[in-house]
Amino acid sequence: MLALGDLVISILASSLTLTMPILFASIGEVYAERSGVLNMGIEGIMGLSALVSLWVTFATGSYLYGLLAAMVAGASMGVLHSFVAVKIGINQLIAGLLIYSLSIGIADFVYRTLTATSFPVVRPLPPVHIPFLSDLPAVGPILFSQNILVYASFAVAIVFGLILYKTTWGLEIRAVGENPEASDAAGINVNRVRYLCVILGAVLAGVAGASLVLGYLGLYNAGDTLVAGRGWIAIVVVIFAGWSPYKAIAGSWLFGLGYSIAATFIGSGVFSSLGPGAGYFLLAIPYIFAIIFIIIFHRGTKSPSSLTIPYKRK
Amino acid sequence: MQLSLGKYLSYLLRVAAYLRRYLSYLIGIAASLAVFSVILLTFGYNPITSIAGLVSGSFGSTFLASETFVLMAPLLLAALAFLVAFKARFYNIGVEGQIYIGALFAYLVGSKLGSFPSVAAIPLVLIAAAGGGILWLALPLLMRIKLQVNEIFPTLVMNFVALDVVNWLTAGPIKDPNSGNLQTPILPRSTWLPDLIPGTRFNLGILIAVIVAIGVFFVLYKTVLGYEIRATGVNPRAAKSGGVSISRSILAVGLISGGMAGLAGMVVVNGAEHLLAQNFSPGYGYQGIAVAALGAFHPLGSLIASVFYSALSIGGESLQSSAAAIPIELIYVLQAIIVLSVLIVQRWLGDRENRRR
Repeated sequence: MLALGDLVISILASSLTLTMPILFASIGEVYAERSGVLNMGIEGIMGLSALVSLWVTFATGSYLYGLLAAMVAGASMGVLHSFVAVKIGINQLIAGLLIYSLSIGIADFVYRTLTATSFPVVRPLPPVHIPFLSDLPAVGPILFSQNILVYASFAVAIVFGLILYKTTWGLEIRAVGENPEASDAAGINVNRVRYLCVILGAVLAGVAGASLVLGYLGLYNAGDTLVAGRGWIAIVVVIFAGWSPYKAIAGSWLFGLGYSIAATFIGSGVFSSLGPGAGYFLLAIPYIFAIIFIIIFHRGTKSPSSLTIPYKRK
Repeated sequence: MQLSLGKYLSYLLRVAAYLRRYLSYLIGIAASLAVFSVILLTFGYNPITSIAGLVSGSFGSTFLASETFVLMAPLLLAALAFLVAFKARFYNIGVEGQIYIGALFAYLVGSKLGSFPSVAAIPLVLIAAAGGGILWLALPLLMRIKLQVNEIFPTLVMNFVALDVVNWLTAGPIKDPNSGNLQTPILPRSTWLPDLIPGTRFNLGILIAVIVAIGVFFVLYKTVLGYEIRATGVNPRAAKSGGVSISRSILAVGLISGGMAGLAGMVVVNGAEHLLAQNFSPGYGYQGIAVAALGAFHPLGSLIASVFYSALSIGGESLQSSAAAIPIELIYVLQAIIVLSVLIVQRWLGDRENRRR
């Protein structure tokens, strides 16, 4: 049974790596949505910033520069999205989808231009073994032998949870999302809070994209096959988590685990008895879980009241 | 001259007022082309020959024009599927998945109908495809009507499940064993939508899409059901107190929307490709949302928008393989910029109008 134990440990360990990009992105989306703005574009923003992080890290050799550049790329798309969705006030769903295709188009164009002369790849960040804790059986390799971005993703979730629930800023954000008119009357600049939350959300989507490259894959694939739905999943996680950064940790992990199990089994021959291609079905399991979860617990989750409604002073 | 100056002026003003509605398109597209030209110049491409190449690459020959319309058919049906639901404020983000399941059903039923004549086989395939699309929307629709769960989440999620189902089947159970590609065998000829222009892929599916667009226009704007759907979307509370059943409106748009999404899959499978291939959709479901937005969420507007959008895609593909070798991704960027600009200008002009009142 040793082999089975090792398999479980490896699945759980990689589940945390696969949780990381979803978690970063979903925390950003929690902030945007809590302020009342749905950003359907994060899948694209992740793709663009993934490419930017790869390019900059490949060119400079610095992971930090790669990460920062990805954050700048994310912020730029965030500025555009907040202009379109908050200032102009066009339908947020449509705006987000357009941001998505715009970002992927730019990223793929830049990638094609780059690969004309070179093939950018980077070595993913090495694991950081936490002294003593990483030597623990099972728990050590799962929890304490991850790369720095994995630790960072969980730290970010907790810190942003604390900010949202324990600080005045967090209170203002939640107030703006629940009741913009009352917030305005109380002297909060509604649209400024929204700009900041949308841009923050896009920056975190940028970090998510960078984490996928720098902390996991080390390369880029065109046609949105790198992010491959993780950005949409982050939006699903936010709803699933009832707009709570803490619950987003659990939600992201559920999908990370699903991806990890699927990757393990698609690679192995376990499903060959069911015929070729059956492994694909495993990929669907997290989604099916998510739907069942929502059917059972739909009464417990309520979206911010002003979500998707632009605010205009009367 | 019989026509007095006053009459002449008032006539001119009326024309101007009419054209104002389309001003946003003029400004939006002009601004987008300006931005696009700057991008092209930055990367060392010639904007004038490129934009001319987009036109000649999409309508320059019978073949290219027919390919533009081949692409238009699923895009238009996807746009209609989104917009009819949107009219009742039901956000069907799951069109992409419904397209895949519609295509799957069209293939599964079509592959069994080899011995049927086309007049019987094609209607059966149509029904199967529409049924597949509706089936895939049924759960989110029921969740919305019975449990008041917002549909954005379930419809989006069902896309991934649909993709996984089709990926699985086309890699295994229904894969063509003689093909290296992940795709099914070719459908029996009697289930193909007949080509209307010989030697091209301009097939019956294109006509079906246009007829459906006119049908949706008719239902939305000329029937009681359409009135109720629009009333539900504009103000659910007022509609309800006016005697409109919200659930009935949502159910109606759900059935129409899912059915049309299924048809979008069928026009690709039975019309253009004659088989079901893994990842056959370049994102028709999502592009359809952009097309619907560009067409101002009007069925006939979407008809024009879908031709325009497809022309850009086909023109872009021609440009990429031409001597200019402009990457297709720049055209995707252009498409997004155009829709975004038109929406921004529309909003801006609308706000100015409101302030003046």
